[in-house]
Amino acid sequence: MKQTVVLDNEAVQALLTASHPKHRKVLAHMQVVAMRKSKAASIITVAPTAVRVEAGCDRSAPTANLFNNLRIVDAALGTIEANSAVRIRAETGVSVADSHVGATIRSMASEGRVTVISSDPDDMVAVAGSVQVTMVAL
Amino acid sequence: MVAVKELQVASSTTALTADALRSRLEAIVMQMALDAHYGQHPELRPSLADLAIAAAELDGNPLASTPGLVQEAAAAIVQLHPDADADAVVLWAEAMAISTA
Repeated sequence: MKQTVVLDNEAVQALLTASHPKHRKVLAHMQVVAMRKSKAASIITVAPTAVRVEAGCDRSAPTANLFNNLRIVDAALGTIEANSAVRIRAETGVSVADSHVGATIRSMASEGRVTVISSDPDDMVAVAGSVQVTMVAL
Repeated sequence: MVAVKELQVASSTTALTADALRSRLEAIVMQMALDAHYGQHPELRPSLADLAIAAAELDGNPLASTPGLVQEAAAAIVQLHPDADADAVVLWAEAMAISTA
């Protein structure tokens, strides 16, 4: 079964800076993703683009070198995801970035298991709605 | 053909092969990036126990909340299997938990 690992704001920030207090922890998660990919497991890591904006993650900046090389895929805020995020925001009152995380979780859930790495597990569970997600609290 | 017609895990053998190749290449790129990063920051290299805890967390395995047991399993498994990876440590820790229950 496919597994999608969704990065929230602090997880993205942690990967950008080696001195970030959570850097080593998130790095360990990325190391596990790499190990599983090497065993042909169906696993991807995604960063919702609104989360990248909030986290200040510019892929064209030299500071994003490690982030880019970890094969983290952008989950874009297209028409369908934006509509979903609007509804999630209206229901839960969370930020635009968190709403986009929720839209990403709900979209990816149809393909398999979803794991979210976040410093705010309560908000992530809220935006996931009825989708069962595995939470990794930072 | 077995994967497509009998197991139905891929739309075609070409798709299955391409997916496997993409995954392997991505793993190589990721590992090179991580190794380069560890080279610059040796203190950031996670231990086998750290990786096993991360693996358990990603899967929602309750062992993630028993780091002592996972560390014990990591120390034990490398005695017999020096190349054990994080998933193997989690399995070892599960076996230890069952045997002591």
